[in-house]
This record gives sequence, C-alpha cells and structure tokens, in this order.
Amino acid sequence: MSATTYGWLVLAFPLAGFLINAFGWRVLPGRAAGWIGTAAIGLAFLNAIGALVMVLDKPVAGRELTSTLWTYASAAGLDIKVNILVDPLSVFMILIVSGVSTLIHLYSVAYLDSDRGYARYFAYLNFFVFSMLLLVLAGNFVLLIVGWAFVGFASYALISFWYRRNTATKAGMKAFVINVIGDVGLVFAAFFIFRELGSFDYLTVFHAAPQHFATNQGVVIAICLLLLVGAFAKSAQLPLHTWLPDAMEGPTPVSALIHAATMVTAGVYLIGRTYPFFELAPTAADISAFIGLATLLFAATCALAVTDLKRIIAYSTISQIGYMVVGVSIGAYAAGFFHLMSHAFFKALLFMSAGSVISAMAGTQDIDRMGGLRRAMPFTAVVMTIGALALAGFPGTAGFFSKDEILAFAAHRGGFYWIFTVGGYIGALLTAFYAFRIIFRVFWGEPVAEASELEHGHLAHSEPENPMTGETEDTDVGFPGQEHHIAERDRPMWLAMAALAFLSIFGGVLQIPGLDDVIDKFLHGSFLDSTLYERFPSIAADWEGLAVGGTVALIGIAAAYRVYVARPGTSAALIRRFRAIHTFLVNRWYFDQLYDAVVYRPTIAVGRFANDVVERVVVQGIVVVVVDVVRGVGVVVRGAQSGFVRAYALLLIGGFAALGLYFLIVSS
Amino acid sequence: MIQVMLWMPVAVGLLCFAAPRRAVPILAVAGSAAVLGLAIAVVAGFDTAEPGLQQTVNESWIPDLGVRYQLGVDGISLFLLSLTAVLWTAATVFSALRTPERRRIYFFMLGLGETAALGAFLAQDLLLFVLFFDLMLVPFWFLIGAFGGENRIAATTKMIVYTLVGSLLMLVAAIATAILASDQVGHLSFSLADLSAHTVSTSSQYWIFCFFAAAFLIKMPAVLVHGWLPDAYKAAPLPVLVLLSGVLSKVGAYGFLRVALPLFPQAVVHFQELILVIGVGGILYGSIMAFTQTNVRLIAGYSSIAQLGFITIGIFSLRPDGADGAVLQMVNHGLVVGAIFLVVALLWERTGTEDLVRLGGMAFRAPVLAALFLIVTLATLAMPGSANFIGEFYILIGVFQSKIVYSFVAAIGVVLAAFYAIRLFQRSMHNRKPDGIASSELSLRDVAVLAPLVACIVGLALYPGLILGRSDAAVKDKIAATCPRLPAGKPQPGWTGYAPIPVPDRCSSGHPEISVIK
Repeated sequence: MSATTYGWLVLAFPLAGFLINAFGWRVLPGRAAGWIGTAAIGLAFLNAIGALVMVLDKPVAGRELTSTLWTYASAAGLDIKVNILVDPLSVFMILIVSGVSTLIHLYSVAYLDSDRGYARYFAYLNFFVFSMLLLVLAGNFVLLIVGWAFVGFASYALISFWYRRNTATKAGMKAFVINVIGDVGLVFAAFFIFRELGSFDYLTVFHAAPQHFATNQGVVIAICLLLLVGAFAKSAQLPLHTWLPDAMEGPTPVSALIHAATMVTAGVYLIGRTYPFFELAPTAADISAFIGLATLLFAATCALAVTDLKRIIAYSTISQIGYMVVGVSIGAYAAGFFHLMSHAFFKALLFMSAGSVISAMAGTQDIDRMGGLRRAMPFTAVVMTIGALALAGFPGTAGFFSKDEILAFAAHRGGFYWIFTVGGYIGALLTAFYAFRIIFRVFWGEPVAEASELEHGHLAHSEPENPMTGETEDTDVGFPGQEHHIAERDRPMWLAMAALAFLSIFGGVLQIPGLDDVIDKFLHGSFLDSTLYERFPSIAADWEGLAVGGTVALIGIAAAYRVYVARPGTSAALIRRFRAIHTFLVNRWYFDQLYDAVVYRPTIAVGRFANDVVERVVVQGIVVVVVDVVRGVGVVVRGAQSGFVRAYALLLIGGFAALGLYFLIVSS
Repeated sequence: MIQVMLWMPVAVGLLCFAAPRRAVPILAVAGSAAVLGLAIAVVAGFDTAEPGLQQTVNESWIPDLGVRYQLGVDGISLFLLSLTAVLWTAATVFSALRTPERRRIYFFMLGLGETAALGAFLAQDLLLFVLFFDLMLVPFWFLIGAFGGENRIAATTKMIVYTLVGSLLMLVAAIATAILASDQVGHLSFSLADLSAHTVSTSSQYWIFCFFAAAFLIKMPAVLVHGWLPDAYKAAPLPVLVLLSGVLSKVGAYGFLRVALPLFPQAVVHFQELILVIGVGGILYGSIMAFTQTNVRLIAGYSSIAQLGFITIGIFSLRPDGADGAVLQMVNHGLVVGAIFLVVALLWERTGTEDLVRLGGMAFRAPVLAALFLIVTLATLAMPGSANFIGEFYILIGVFQSKIVYSFVAAIGVVLAAFYAIRLFQRSMHNRKPDGIASSELSLRDVAVLAPLVACIVGLALYPGLILGRSDAAVKDKIAATCPRLPAGKPQPGWTGYAPIPVPDRCSSGHPEISVIK
C-alpha cells in the first residue's frame, strides 16, 4: 500500500470508532466502548507506522505525497477537494497524535469506568483524535480549517462533558468561542492566500509563494498574522489563552488529550506547515516568537501561584507551547517539533498522574489540601516525578534535549535572538521550580487524611462535588462517576503511565547532538525550501546550551526543595511578604477580568441597547404608528382588525379566482 | 412535470374538503410526499452544464396585457424547489401526526401555500412571479390568524401592513418595468427573458429597483424592516413557522437573483454598497439581538435575519462565488431553521415553555434529541465541515474580493453566531434541569420528522458540491448580466473563456493563473 492509503486509513479507524460508539451507546456492554475506542486509535497508530515506512522508502526530495478522495465543493473558480498531504511533517505528527492518544484512551478505559456517559465519552474522544489527524493530514487550507474547527468542537464537547455542571458548560462555551475567533483568522488567511495565489492547495501555494511575494511584503505579513490568530487561539498563546485553564473542567484524561496529543500543538504545527510564508515575512515570524516568549514567561509565573493541581499543569502547557512557538518561529523547526514530541510524552504523563492523585484525594484538586501521598501511591509518585523531571529539563530526560536545543538555536542565530535564549532560561528556572512545587507539595510532607487512609488500603470516598463551586452532585449522566480509580489498582492506567514514563526518560535519545539527529534528518523532507533549516548550531554549541539548561534545571529543583521541603514555612512567608504580587499571579494577571470588562460586558450592553432602544423604540415604534393609521382606516371602513385580514385575504383569493376564470374564458 | 408539481399541493388541498375527516391528514401527507418525489425527479433530470432554463412551459395567458404563463427551472431555483418540498413534507407530517383542529382548512392552506411558494420559484414571467409572491401570503395569514398563539390578530395585522406595502410597491414596479420596456421589446411583455434582454434606462432602473428591493427586503426580512418578525414568529404555529422562516424568507433573496440582477443591472451596481450595508447591518443586528433574547423562537428568528444578511451580501458581492454561496446558503438555512423550529416544537410539547430561563438539562433524559439538536446547532453556526460553512465561505470570499471591508465586518457575525447558537443549545439541553419541567426522549413519530431533516443537513455537509455544481452555471449567467457589456468585436472577458485582464475583478473569470505572475 502507498503512504497515502495508510494516511486515509489513519483517518478511517478513529472515525469508525466514533461512529460505532456514537450509535452503539445503548447496547455496548461494560467497558466495550472503551476498548473499541482504544483499538480504533491503536489501529490508526499502526497505520501511521505504515505511512512512516512507506515515506522512508522514498528519496528525501520526493516525500510529499498527495491523494484526493472526492471533490468537495468546487465552483466559480474555487477548487476545494478532500485531499491529504502525507509528508515527513504530517507523518511525524500523526505518529505522536495517534501514539499518545492510544495511551490516553487506554488510561480512560479504567479511569472513566463508573461514568454513566462512558460510550458518549469514547465517541467524543475518538472524534477528537479523528479531527486532529484530519487537521495534520489535510492537503489544503479548507480541509485544514475543517479539521481545525472539528478539534475546537470536540474540545468543547469534552470540556463540557459533565454538562450538568454550570462551570463546565461555561468553560466549554469559552473554549468554543475563542476557537471560532481562531477559525475566522484562518479563514481570512485562506482568503488572502487564494486572492494572491489562486489556490487553497498546500503544495501549489507553497511553491508559488516565493516567486509571487517580496520579502516582508504587506500582504504576506497580513497572511502570517491571520494564521497566527488561528494558531494562538488553538495553542492558547497570549492573548487568546484564557480558555485553556478553564478547560480543566473536563475529565482529567481529556486534559491530557488536549494538552499532549491533540489541539494545543495544532498552532505549532500550523506555523511549521506554513513556514514558506513565515520565512517570507520575517517580521511576522519575529512577532510570533516574541509572543511565544511573553507567553512562556507569563504562564510560568501563573503556575507558581495557582493552587489547583490541574490548572498548574495547564499553565505549564501554555508555557511549554510558548517554547515551541519560539522554536518554529525562529526557524528551529526540528527542535520545535522535537519539543512538541517530548512535551506530549511528559505532559500526558503528568496529567495521568494528576488524575490518579485526584482520584486518591476523592476529587480534590487543591494542592494546599494534599501532602504525603508518596508512600500511599508509590507508582504514581515515581512516574509523576519522572514527568516533572522531564518538564524541568533534568539532564538526560526528553525535555532536557528538546527544550535546550531550541534555546541553543536561538543563541546561534545571532542578532537579537539571544533574547529568546536568555528568556528561555529564565522560563526554565521557573519551570523547574513549579514542577517540583507540585511534587513536593503532593508527595512530600505530612500525609493528609486521605493519604494515611490509602496506606491502610482504603481509597477515600466522598460524594462528588464540583471542585470549583463546592456544589454537591449526583452521579447520573452528566456528572462524574461514583467511583475513583488510581493507577496502583487499575492495570490499564498503570500500563499507560508506565509507557509514557519510559518515553519521557528515553524519548530524548532520538536526537542527541552529535550522536544521532533522527528528527532533524527525517523532518528535512518537509522543509526543503527553508533557508533556516540547515543553520544548526555546532555540536559544541549545542552541548554548551545543554550544560547551561541542565544547571538551570538543577538550581530550580534545589530552590523548590529548599522552599517546600527543607524549610516548609518559606512559601507562606513569601506570600505574606509579596502579597500584591501573589494576588496578581493568583488572579492570572487579571486577564479574565479584563476580557470581561472590555469584551463581554460591552457586547452584552450593546445587545441590551439593541433590544431595549433600537427594537422597542425605532423598529416597533414605526410599526405602532403605521398600525394606528391602519386602525384609523379600519375604523372608517367599519372593519375590525380581524375582519380586515379576512377581507383582504378573500379579496386576493377572489382576485385569483377571477383571473383564473378570465384565463379559462380567453383561452377557450 | 413541473406543472404537476406546481398544482398538485393545492389540488390535494381541495381534495381534503371532499375526503372523510380521518383521511385528511393521510391525504395531505401523501400529497406532500408526491411533490417531494417530483422535486427529486426534477433534480435527477437536471442538466448541470445548462445555464438557462430547463423544463420550460410557455403559454399565453392574458395576451392583452402581455402576461404569459411561463415556468422553468434553472440552477438557482432547482434546490429551492427541493427545499420547499422537503420542508412542506416535514411540516405536513409533523402536523398530521398531531391532527389539528379544523384540519381541512388547515391542510388546504398548507397546500395553497406550497403551490404559491413553488410558483414563485418557477415563474418566469414578472407578473406571474408577483402574483405567486402575493398569493403566498394568503394562506399564511390564515394559518397564523386562525391557528396561531397569543396576540395572533395583532401579529397578522402587522405582517399585512408590512408586506402589503412591499407587495404594492412591487406590483407598481413590475407594471412600470413592462411599460417602460415595451418600446424596446415592441409590445407589452412581462416575460423575464424579454425584460432582461431589453433593460430599461438607467434612471428608471434606480427607482424601480428600489421598489423591488423594498419588497424583497421586507419579505426576508432585512434589518429595520423586520418589525413584523418578532410578533409573527411568536404567534405562528410552529410547523407554519418552519415554512415561514425556512421557505418564505428565501423568496425575497431569490427575487434579487431572479428579478433584480437581470432586469436592473446598472441599478444593482449602483446600489451595491447600500444593500451590502443593509446586509452587514442585518448580520450584526440579528446576531446581537439573538443573544439577548430568551425566547427560543426569537433567537431563531433573529438569527434568520443575520443569516439572510449573509445571503444578501453574497448576492451583492456581484461575483459568482458570492452568489453561489448565497444559493447554497439559502438551502442550508432553510434546512437548519426548519429543524430548529421542529426542535422548539418538541421542547414545547415536553416542557410547556419556550423561555430559555426555564429550560435546561434536556439532554439528560433525551440524549437522541440532544444529539440531533447539536448537529443542527453546529450547522446553524456554520461550523467548518457543514454545508453552511461552505456557503458562508463562498459568500465571504465573494465579498472579500469585491468589497473587502464588508467581509471583515461580516466576520464578527460569524463569531457572534457561535455564541448565540451554543448558548441556545446549552441553555436548553445542558446544565441542570429546572424543577417543574419534564424531559422525555423522542418518540418514533418525532424521529420520523426530525431525523430526515438532520440527514439532509449531514448529507449536504459531506457533499455541498451537489448544489454548487448545479447552481454555478446559472449564477454566472445572472452575475454576468451586471457586468458592463463590451462593444462587439472585442473578446468579452466572460465566464467561458480565459480572462484577458491579469487583475482579477468582479467580471473576469475566477483567478488569473499563478504561472502568469513571475
């Protein structure tokens, strides 16, 4: 089979899984829906490997393969087909997406076990993966937008999966609307591209662009900025990031899926995919890189202060995506995508561990109420620490090699790009600190009641309540299930986490400077026309960067150890000392409040105004006048309003009848 | 065939008076199903490449006045006929399963309405079009006035006042057009073919166009002339509302394509920006109103204003892509808004309320209803992957290439649509169920009505090319009418050939080849 056939199969299996679960929700017994969903994604992963093998078979210059299934909507000079592009970049993405998603599905099989919406959950989950695969495999901008919006919808459906929680439905709405803003950005980027280049097709457009545009020509910058609107909405970069922390309302494996395998990496993929435009518009690329840098620092500071376990990890995602955005924007494509991969491993692992911890705490997500879980759940403690080490960039882990390669590239590129190196290391310091803040707060210290109970073999249980509002909930459809599941007791969860822990440690060996450059060499086939791709730093410079990065990570971890373990009171003292800063950070720099005041309230106010003034006074006012006049006429002719209706209707019918009669007479 | 299709509904309606009481609903359903079958047959027999009319009927009717009984189908009306048949079948089946009071007159009026709507889409004679256009109102006045809810008398009065104004203006304009053109045609003729071949002078076009535009805009309705909409939507029985919003609103937009563009090309170009402003205004105003309302009917009603705004600007981009999108969107909007009102009817039956504040949590006991409604909601907000998205995509790219500013403003409407549509879905289906309302799953008879509509929506989502491919030729023909006619001898930058001008403008075909630009 050809690579594109494998590509279509990669799409077909998750879609089939979705349809089976969607239509079979009533009849599928027990965990069947979960296993069907997992198998569907697993088969997609196998086919992705098939595609990889077939692509590797081709010469480096001939690895861009397209295939069309049907003409979707072509008219008036617009040619819109359902076609896919299988090239090294899309193969790389489908491998990560389907691979990590398989593990997340596996984890969910057990984790969501007692939820009454089990089949619905796996239907959405499969659809989510299908959408993401469609997004990365799409061969033209319209299909990209379709996949893009499907991902947005799937995230909406899963964020508000427990739809009887008000907080969940609100969070879903927020994610959806912000994603639609991104969609609109992409649509207009596509419009500009079509207007200038006359096609939506990737390869046509990318080959035509360098001849058509001058460097930094206004319209290319416009295209890039519009693409960035889409990318930043999806990848939760400033200023469109506010939906992601709220997205924690969904079940924990969903967070893993959104943050690791699907969705938020889409923006990074988009920038990488459309690199010919960004290389033609260096200004836009620099803007993108600076926003990435700002985001990574901003989100890291939020992660220092937030106390909700899942939200800390969410901010860490925003921050890590910032690194990737910096990477692909400055031309460190291979490094950016390498970091995307290692991040997928350790972020999925962190969320899965968090899920296990939250289960053990009977639904509590606040790290202030956690502690000493180390002995109660040793497996979770070990793998979560591995995840935190990878996140912090501890020497030898996957995150160490990938993140520092981006920063080394920035240092090597010259000009003002050293800013990204310095900013990146500051971010790395904060990252190491907050990563181990989680570990030390959750697993070290005095065991809390739930922890000691668990040590005696009893899993804590409390009536499910909304972690945000404290409302109690029943466990019927639309609320979390009754039972809790932890990795130590459920084999599928254990298996998924063990696999990811392995990958988080050893994923980095794919690309060790000087030793092997697997990802560099493989992705090159997608960046053949790039002027930046080949500008690698020397091996020595790479190792220098790695040394600095490793030191920074160790300092951060040591600082966290000092604050949270060696001298337990330090954190509280710091909060007292810097209360204003702390409040500022806990409120996430007041972005939500800002949008509330600047966007939401004015829009609602305009709506009220339209309703109360324009509609009542202007529109209905005219009507009232006219109706009064008519009523006056009606009074004159002694016809009640209803009589008037009837009279006019009869008149028309009579008129028609007369005309018909006339027609009959005339024609005969 | 189209003759049978046109007159069958009213014939069946008359037959209802003769049939035994119990057989009336069955008869009505059978009649509407037969029309649907004929509509499908018309689609099947359609020649895609032909830009002109097909299946034409051309009989002399009132020779003294030059009025002819002229019917025909082209790519623009083809799927509007299908839409009419589909929605009428849905509404008839829905009503038949509930057997209303005074059923004979009810089903007769439905049949009369269908004939009138089909007639408006089929008519190729200006006066015939005007007659069908007005005839359409009669059954709806009856249906709302006699079978409606609270305040139905006031609502119908309001509707009459508005539409009468439009109708009379249109009648005057139609007669004026024929008389003014009679010098060139040689005799008095209302035939659209004659009138478009011999357009009237530019200055006359201006005021005549305004009269027609007023009638069409009121019918849609466009913003500021929508005063009749809230009351009529609140009062109309829901199956009637399906038709009112799904089909009747499209006749206005269709009128622009069928009458205004070919007959008044200079006026259309002259007033392009004005109509674009009205369209964009409708998008913004309708969207904003839609998310301040709590009455489910009004949310759908105001969203219709917004959607018809999109359709209007698509037509008045005066580019084939925009107008193609408009034709597609007319069908899409008819389907989704029909489905929404059916869902509203089902909600009403379950809860006795149409107020979002008192709704919620329906998905809990009625997951199938929620799933179907979700699909409809996503189509309403034009999510990529739905045919509505392709419709909006074509409309916006048309406007983008014609008058770029309006496309950006219209894009705000896209975001707002996401907000009000999801809000409508969430507030009715999600969150906790308020006390005092019941939630129960769809019964088989509900599925029988709703599921086929949703199937149409999904089917079109997979292959919107079905409509685009068939409308394209006719739409290009209509848009070409608004292009300046080059003196004979020079190659015309037409739709068939390659554009000689490298700069893409409204009147050159598609886009210059990329290879040309180096």
